[in-house]
Amino acid sequence: MRSYRHFSKLSQLAASVGAFVVVALLLESGGIYDWAGRLDLGPERTVALPVATALHRVLAPLRIERGRQHALVELARVGWSDDPAALAEANELPRLAKPMTPTAVVAMGTTGTAPAHAATGTKPATTITRPVPLRADAAPGLCILPPIPAISVSGTRTVALAGDSMMAVGLSSTILRQAPHYKALSFVHAFKSGTGLARPEVFNWQLEYPAMLKDAQPDFVLVAIGANDGQGFVEDGVTYPFGSEGWKQIYQRRVQAYLDMLSAKGATVVWLGLPPMKSDSYDARIALINRIDYSVVSASPHAIWVGTAGVVGDADGRFRDFGEIDGHTTRLRQGDGIHLSDDGATLITTKLLPWLAAQQVAKPAVPVVADQEVAKP
Amino acid sequence: MLFPTVEYAVFFLAVLAISWALAPRPIAHKIFLLAASYLFYGFWSWRYVPLLFLISLFAGLIGQTLQRIHEETTRKRLLIAGVAVCLVVLAYYKYTSFLLLSALGLWGLVGRTPAWNIPTPFLPLGISFFVFHAISLMGDIYRRKLREPLQLLDALLYVAFFPQLIAGPILRASNFIPQLLRKRDLQHIRVNRAFLLILAGLFKKVILSNTLATRLVEPVFAAPASFHAGDVLLAIYGYAAQIYCDFSGYTDIAIGCAMLLGYRFPRNFNAPYTAADPQEFWQRWHISLSSWLRDYLYIPLGGSRRGTSRTYINLMITMLLGGLWHGASWTFVMWGGLQGLYLVVHRLWAAADSPAVQRLRSHSAWPWVGRLLMFHAVCVGWVFFRASTFALATTVFHQLGSRGAVTLAAWPVVVCLVLGIFGQYAPRVWRRSVEATMSRMPVAVNGVALALGVFAIELLGPTGVAPFIYFQF
Repeated sequence: MRSYRHFSKLSQLAASVGAFVVVALLLESGGIYDWAGRLDLGPERTVALPVATALHRVLAPLRIERGRQHALVELARVGWSDDPAALAEANELPRLAKPMTPTAVVAMGTTGTAPAHAATGTKPATTITRPVPLRADAAPGLCILPPIPAISVSGTRTVALAGDSMMAVGLSSTILRQAPHYKALSFVHAFKSGTGLARPEVFNWQLEYPAMLKDAQPDFVLVAIGANDGQGFVEDGVTYPFGSEGWKQIYQRRVQAYLDMLSAKGATVVWLGLPPMKSDSYDARIALINRIDYSVVSASPHAIWVGTAGVVGDADGRFRDFGEIDGHTTRLRQGDGIHLSDDGATLITTKLLPWLAAQQVAKPAVPVVADQEVAKP
Repeated sequence: MLFPTVEYAVFFLAVLAISWALAPRPIAHKIFLLAASYLFYGFWSWRYVPLLFLISLFAGLIGQTLQRIHEETTRKRLLIAGVAVCLVVLAYYKYTSFLLLSALGLWGLVGRTPAWNIPTPFLPLGISFFVFHAISLMGDIYRRKLREPLQLLDALLYVAFFPQLIAGPILRASNFIPQLLRKRDLQHIRVNRAFLLILAGLFKKVILSNTLATRLVEPVFAAPASFHAGDVLLAIYGYAAQIYCDFSGYTDIAIGCAMLLGYRFPRNFNAPYTAADPQEFWQRWHISLSSWLRDYLYIPLGGSRRGTSRTYINLMITMLLGGLWHGASWTFVMWGGLQGLYLVVHRLWAAADSPAVQRLRSHSAWPWVGRLLMFHAVCVGWVFFRASTFALATTVFHQLGSRGAVTLAAWPVVVCLVLGIFGQYAPRVWRRSVEATMSRMPVAVNGVALALGVFAIELLGPTGVAPFIYFQF
């Protein structure tokens, strides 16, 4: 009969758990440091970050973290990981030397030009000489989509779907399910839940977006982002609580940098305003984020604002659980009061997709022939 | 807080240390665990901690009253009232939207529906589980399965105990409360078994379930018309593996954590995809729920005691409601209906005794044929379980007939799929021999081995933590 150990003394448990804690800290000091850095501003971060930073600094000479990073890159190289940035590093694709911070973006605007649209022959991006003024009015809930040039029957439009879980949940799946009806459109995944623009140290869109696109060059980018940005952040050692003046300025620059990146190669950005939220306090945060986004988007010649409050909200643009589609009452939002349901997303995509597909230019029914041949009976 | 996170690891290590130190003082020990459980739940949302407390208190007070009253009619009425209150609470939070939309759907068949916008409540995390615990407490006391006088502290802790609070296993009051009454016996804790359970649970959840979800199941179920038969079939198998690994992974961690704290949880999964018939499947899948439904729904309805036809009706009612318990959607009801249908068909088959049927059953290959049929029958049900609408499920089935290249069979996906399904055939002796080997090692080496295992899982797992599937119930 097998005998199994039973721990009868606290000291035995302490030895086992203690060994676990020591070895786990040795191996995971880098991971714990990353985790603490990703925490939202608050008591947990206040306690965890200094401890994790000190631990990481003490253990850095052991180079275990470097070994861990090498292992992650190798895992990406053999195909185990599908993280775009890790894959890019494993395949030694060109990437930015360091993440573009808002400061860097502003400096680039004042000392040089933003990435040009030379390859497509479109107008160059507006250089950023100073942040656009924050609009006093709220972001509109509706938008009239402007006319766009027709595409030829043999051509297709590439549309990148970008953003956080507001794109990932409801919108992207609804768009992709309707895609077979729009043969002229092809779609590229460029969204990731749990991300945003407020915390580039958690997920850096400037690095990740090019890796997500791979070789694709989208004509349009549908963006839904900002649901995770209702939080404070730390910039250059200074803490900026959500909604403070410093927070608004820095966030606006990050939105501008993101917009510039999306439109860098001639893409037109279709920025979807975030819908109203069920929780009043959260809805107020999202309203501010929408206002900042709208200020930036409305000042850009390469971006179009699409309000969603007038579509999935009630008559006053406020949150509603239910709405009508084809005469049937249906649920427009998920149970969390944040994300769109499939039906809620359908209300938006039924306006967007036909506009994106636009009318096609038909080929002539018969080939053009020489005049003397046409004259024959 | 989710199990595979740094927050939970810090929380649990602290709770473990304090809990063991308080083991000689039972009352203080239980008060501490109760406070820790409320802290665990409040980490998600403090707004709903009072709801958890009130449900537990209500069930405890009803239980105490049931123990004092001896007159059977009064006891029965009190039980029915208590269960009804719990079910009304569950229905309000979980089924308001479903009932409204269903009613409006019926209304729409005969006329234009009014433009309603009735606000619906948020769904508290784990409400299906802790309401079922409350019902189990009242039910077991009514049936006199708890002999000892019920203490309110024990009732509160039974419902709120954090390892099982969010996603089970569904504990029986008659099994767990006696454990609360006993002094913690540290000598009977198989610590290495607990370590192995936690490690296995992390592996199944973080690596197998997450990989299959992100690289196979979600792309296909988001837009099935974009994929062909090979990818769709892989995704269906993938979801079967994903939901098993996700849910059994969670309960493995829960059982391991409870074990370290000195409490025994029942096994919740026993290699379900090795089942050769529906009855065996439900003896192996989500065992705590199937036994709960059997004891508190199927048997009170009459079980198999009222003739063949009534047995089939009772089976269908039980499984339809079991489906509805999983989610407020007709696709979940469809899933439950299919499970009920499988059980009915199995009973008809079991009753058949023609020579041809007997020859078939006695063939050596028949158990494997049965396992193959049962697994695919379960997979058909999973399509409805996963799809958010019938239209989506129909598209998935339709695409099984489409021709085209397989695009999603990357080697990590195949490895996770094989491990998720065929790993259930691994002999139990392997796990026991690992545990016995660990028992011969110094205690500190066990801790080192656990740390190395967690490190390897963190390395191989994708970034971020996807929520457990059963959190939505």
